[in-house]
Amino acid sequence: MTQARHDTMRRRERLRVILQLTPILAVLFVLFGGALVLAVLQSLGFAPWFGVNTFPDFSYFGALWSSTSFWWSLGLTLYYATVSTVIALVLAVLLALALIKAFPGKTFYKYLYKLPLMIPYTVGIALAVLMLSNGGMLSRLAAFAGLIDDPGQFPQILKTHYGWGIIAVYVWKQVPFITLAVYAVLLGIGRETEEAAAILGADRKTIFFRVTLPQILPGIVSSTLICFAFNVGAFEAPFILGGGFPDTLPVVAWRYFNDADYTLQLQGMATVVSIGLVSGVILFAYLAAYRRYEMNMGRN
Amino acid sequence: MRSTPKYLAAALVMYGTAAFADEQAQQFRDAFLDGSAGWDTVQARAKEEGTVNLYYWGGNDVLNVWMDRVVAPALEAEGVKLNPVRITSTKDAIDLVLAEKNSGKGVGEGSVDAIWLNGENFATLKRQDALFGSFAQLLPNAVNIEWDQSDSRSLLNFRDFGVETEGKEMPWSGEQYVCAVNAARVEAGDVPSTFEELRAYLEKNPGKFTYIKPPHYLGNTFVQAAIYAHNPDGNGAEAFQASLDEIGAAELARLITPGLEYLKELEPLLLDANGGKPRYPEDNAALDGLFLNGEVNFNCKFGLYAVATGLATGTYPEQAQEFIFPKGNMIKNKNYLAIPANAPNPAAALVLVNYMTSVDSQVSKLKNVGMPAGIDPWKLSDEDVAALAEASPGHVGVDPAELDANTAPDTNATLVDVIEATWLDYIERGSDAPIADIVARAAENLNK
Repeated sequence: MTQARHDTMRRRERLRVILQLTPILAVLFVLFGGALVLAVLQSLGFAPWFGVNTFPDFSYFGALWSSTSFWWSLGLTLYYATVSTVIALVLAVLLALALIKAFPGKTFYKYLYKLPLMIPYTVGIALAVLMLSNGGMLSRLAAFAGLIDDPGQFPQILKTHYGWGIIAVYVWKQVPFITLAVYAVLLGIGRETEEAAAILGADRKTIFFRVTLPQILPGIVSSTLICFAFNVGAFEAPFILGGGFPDTLPVVAWRYFNDADYTLQLQGMATVVSIGLVSGVILFAYLAAYRRYEMNMGRN
Repeated sequence: MRSTPKYLAAALVMYGTAAFADEQAQQFRDAFLDGSAGWDTVQARAKEEGTVNLYYWGGNDVLNVWMDRVVAPALEAEGVKLNPVRITSTKDAIDLVLAEKNSGKGVGEGSVDAIWLNGENFATLKRQDALFGSFAQLLPNAVNIEWDQSDSRSLLNFRDFGVETEGKEMPWSGEQYVCAVNAARVEAGDVPSTFEELRAYLEKNPGKFTYIKPPHYLGNTFVQAAIYAHNPDGNGAEAFQASLDEIGAAELARLITPGLEYLKELEPLLLDANGGKPRYPEDNAALDGLFLNGEVNFNCKFGLYAVATGLATGTYPEQAQEFIFPKGNMIKNKNYLAIPANAPNPAAALVLVNYMTSVDSQVSKLKNVGMPAGIDPWKLSDEDVAALAEASPGHVGVDPAELDANTAPDTNATLVDVIEATWLDYIERGSDAPIADIVARAAENLNK
């Protein structure tokens, strides 16, 4: 009797879990998985709606990977993504460490730093154009003040392959995000271990690297993973603020899609799948390295 | 990336509705195209349909306002509600039509009723057999347009980038590739009228010119003009009217080589190049910004009245003027309204297109939006011609007769694709391969 009742309860429990998981699984499998399958199919030459069906055909990947411009684009994509994630991380950790201390106006500041989180990327890009471009506020002010003869002489900040504009927008938007994650972890761990280390004679540098950093690492890893993945796949900022050819991979893909020649869409799909592959491999390696570190630390 | 969800959605819809052809719409289409259904039938059916979905590039605010304030009320009077769908790229509408067609949505079942387009986009729809049919000459307002093949001026109504229109699209607006100069920054004597003079000017004033990046059609057009002017046979646009199959890749390569070499030599003199790679703006809004800001001194684009309207709206610098460039090779074309084969409201679409080619709407469009007439003035009454002349925003710095005297036709759409691919490879990617090889490869890719 009790055994039977126990079984029913277990079955009910399992049913509830399945019901809870269904919506998100449906979204993942149908929308995301479906799109992924279609993307891979198209990149391998399956597009009967354009009158193209040479499946399986690896020539789109072949053409893409054998062109030097693809590797330039890949390098550029990874450069923007990595540099902006690293800069944002450093600033965010400093900010989070400052935020756990008490200082006047802290409550106000805690709201202020989150502001970019609520503003869309596109608006950030527009702000960069308004302020930093050669027709922007800074260049006009400089021309007005007589520092330069016309706004066109202002040093080029946007639209170069150094990508300062792109990096600025990513950093501006992602510092609060990483800060939020790290700050939450910092609040959770409390300050006792740091104080203990200080009493035992550790200097500030040692405390940070040996005590604080290992404790906030989970927050750092999860938030930088998300930022990096976004930065690799993002399109608007490099499209509007980038330096033209060679473009980042998402922009290259968009150019293929937007070409009046429909057969190029398959080339575009191959580009998209390549972006997915590259970012998947990097993120997986990053995560694996982190797991290994955690195991060595004796955590799991 | 962008279009995948669309195809998926289309695929899902396909399973839902299967291929029920809308028989009534099919009958209407056949009856209208073979002439057995008169205009009364069209108007009556349009009232029943009630709505027309016009897809068009929505980047021009003045045009958008005109659609809402002028076109919508005029159609209201015909019992049709205008649903203007403003898209960022005409190709989006083409994508949608083709996706729906390939998911089994036939006559009367799609979602696009009319598209503003020309060139490659029309060529694509025609190649995919996704157009309503040869309707143009059956509309009442077809009388405003020259359909007499013996009159050479009718060519723009029969050929769109060298592709035969077959009446499957209706001329809506005429355009000419016109360059503007900022007279505050360039002395009258320095304004170039040939490509050689442009290079000489840039050698003295490096960085003060750029053109829109191909494959944007405005960039393609600049490249075509340069190729015409450097045609080794000296016959300009004439050689580029035939299709790729007729010309052949080797001959095309020979014809375009001098023009592309000129553009390659020009590169280090363009905006921000400083002897290296220049900055090419993505679209005309970006180029307008550079021009207004004094970063470049010239602005070349399709816009017969662009200077007058640019000055009125403040998007051009105060001393902007038109000038004749390149002499004898200012590309002139028309743009059109097409009806897709699977238009859900074909009768309302016909009513819309007919209204758009009326004298009233053309005068109003010219006056308010500054878009040149697509109808042919010599077909109109003196009164109507006077109304068009009065509505014209006018020219700044050039005589209209001079603009007319320096026109050249577009390049055949099949060649445009190859020339564009060659520019991307030879100029943008800086390929070392000989132009002949690049052209051969591009032509081969196109025929794949």
